[in-house]
Amino acid sequence: MLQLVDVYKIYHVGDEEVRALDGVSLAVGAGEFLGIVGPSGSGKSTLMHILGCLDTADFGTYYLDGRPVEFYSESQLATVRNEQIGFVFQSFNLIGHMTIAENVELPLLYRGTKASERRELVHEALSQVGLWERRSHRPNSVSGGQLQRAAIARAIVTRPSLLLGDEPTGNLDSRTGHEIMELFCELNARGRTIVLITHDQSIAKRTNRVVHIRDGKVVA
Amino acid sequence: MLAQSVRTALAAIGANKMRAFLTMLGIIIGVTALVVLVSLVSSATRAVTDEISSLGNDLLSVTIRDDKGKPLKSADLAQIAQDSTSISLIAPVSTSSATAKQGTSTYSLTLTGTTNAYFWIMGSELAEGRFLLDADLKNNTSVLVLSYETADEIYGRTDVVGLELALDGVKYLIIGVLAEEEGLMTSMGDNYTAYVPYTVLERATSAASGGGASGMSGAGGGASSGASGITSFYAAAKEADNIDLAEAELTASLLGLLKGDEDAFSIRNNNSLSETMASVTDTFALLLGAIAGISLLVGGIGIMNIMLVSVTERTREIGIRKAVGAKRLAITLQFLIEALVICLIGCALGIVFSGIILGVVNLTVGADSSTTYSFSPEVVIVAVGFSTFIGVAFGLYPANKAARMHPIDALRFE
Ligand SMILES: Nc1ncnc2c1ncn2[C@@H]1O[C@H](COP(=O)(O)OP(=O)(O)OP(=O)(O)O)[C@@H](O)[C@H]1O
Ligand SMILES: [Mg+2]
Repeated sequence: MLQLVDVYKIYHVGDEEVRALDGVSLAVGAGEFLGIVGPSGSGKSTLMHILGCLDTADFGTYYLDGRPVEFYSESQLATVRNEQIGFVFQSFNLIGHMTIAENVELPLLYRGTKASERRELVHEALSQVGLWERRSHRPNSVSGGQLQRAAIARAIVTRPSLLLGDEPTGNLDSRTGHEIMELFCELNARGRTIVLITHDQSIAKRTNRVVHIRDGKVVA
Repeated sequence: MLAQSVRTALAAIGANKMRAFLTMLGIIIGVTALVVLVSLVSSATRAVTDEISSLGNDLLSVTIRDDKGKPLKSADLAQIAQDSTSISLIAPVSTSSATAKQGTSTYSLTLTGTTNAYFWIMGSELAEGRFLLDADLKNNTSVLVLSYETADEIYGRTDVVGLELALDGVKYLIIGVLAEEEGLMTSMGDNYTAYVPYTVLERATSAASGGGASGMSGAGGGASSGASGITSFYAAAKEADNIDLAEAELTASLLGLLKGDEDAFSIRNNNSLSETMASVTDTFALLLGAIAGISLLVGGIGIMNIMLVSVTERTREIGIRKAVGAKRLAITLQFLIEALVICLIGCALGIVFSGIILGVVNLTVGADSSTTYSFSPEVVIVAVGFSTFIGVAFGLYPANKAARMHPIDALRFE
């Protein structure tokens, strides 16, 4: 489903060259649950952004469903993000002045979904993460675990085939983290392909397969 | 998506009401200045041009400077009127001054020598008696018609028909008094006028200039310099729309009579007076409009400033929106519409405010004048158009800045 072939991402900070990704090749099959682990600064987030079409590789090719993403226009990338990929961040990234339901609805608005259908999909997504009762709360009035549930609801509301999580449990205590992990496992059981970054070995253990990254390279 | 953008914009404005209002203030003041100033000027202009056209916008006034030794006679005027398809009436006019004596008081009057047609051309109305008639001219009868103000000044009343008034020692019978005139122009200057038959005034002036040889210069001497002929007259077009045609025909006739000398006469068209007036006030309105436009521009800069702040503040939000699939256009629209909504709310408030100001002006200044100051609908349209333009012009840069952000950079923004 996903395939990275010799991907590089190089940042220039002053005269220094930072190889955030230094020739990464990786393949993820449909329905797989992949964990990515590695020390801080090893390039995990950078890799994730490329997988999520939020950023593009400097060299190398990323095939998404067999199609090379490098030839996509900015607007096509936006469409891919909207329709095929759900992204969950460590820091939740919900919009503060909108209610949970409005946050979850957001991807559907950019997709042009009809209002009635939007209501249905938002209801479905929020029910799935157990947050329907909190739909009209604003992000500042719910707990961290609930925020992450809302973010997951937003990621799955468009029913994407690929779900990406960049340390989604990183800001949560271990109990809540495991609850969230439970949710991911459930989603994977329903056939979604999931790629998850984590620091936590116990979280990584619950995935199908683990890839280790160090200094921008896949080590195992 | 558009409705959604408007809702998002309203929410964003609502979240920062005070800031939005202060930003709007520039637009509110600009729109108010524009609408009020232009409305005032155009209302005043309308009053003045109405006044001018009430003087007769179907009126041509002709002055003969050089009659080429062939004085213009009444018959010539009649011929001109007959030849023309567009001129309805022609009235010769000569003016002179005279001193009227009533009791122990004397009054200085302007004497206008003319014919019956004059009153029709001027649209005069009678308070008492009758106008001058053709018979008065034919018989050289010493009769006169007084303007309302003149009768009022001399007698303190206007039912004076039948009385005799001595002008420079010659007694005239008062046959009519004109109705009182209203308006801006007539109240300017206290000019007391009496109308006498053209022939009578002509004879009186030639007698005065002829001096001792008055007996000789009668109807007999055809080439007498005393009978100087008609030197000025008014012509009325049949319809106001025909005034230019009437002027052309009159010019042709006069060229024929005056040996083709264009400089021998001049024709003044009242239309051109109101056109000049209109262009002066248009310039004035434009100037005031420009001043208001500048303040709107300043308001626009304020909007651009606040939109840039808003875009920076919401960088993370932009990143999130892009991450979930917002395209550039969607982000551009969101911020553009926000700027536009601020502008249009400001514009609406400005128009409401202008309505209040114009209402107050009407109640105070307008109460004792005939002019009512009203919204000119054009300026409201211009104000809305200008506000829209300002919103788009000054919102575009911040909106574009937002739309061009890289999603990852935006999400990383602290
Ligand atoms: N925009 C950028 N400009 C310069 N350097 C960057 C930029 N983004 C990332 N880097 C560098 O790239 C390297 C990889 O960063 P990345 O965020 O992918 O690490 P990470 O594995 O996600 O770390 P963490 O576990 O702390 O989140 C780091 O050395 C980082 O400093
Ligand atoms: Mg990271």
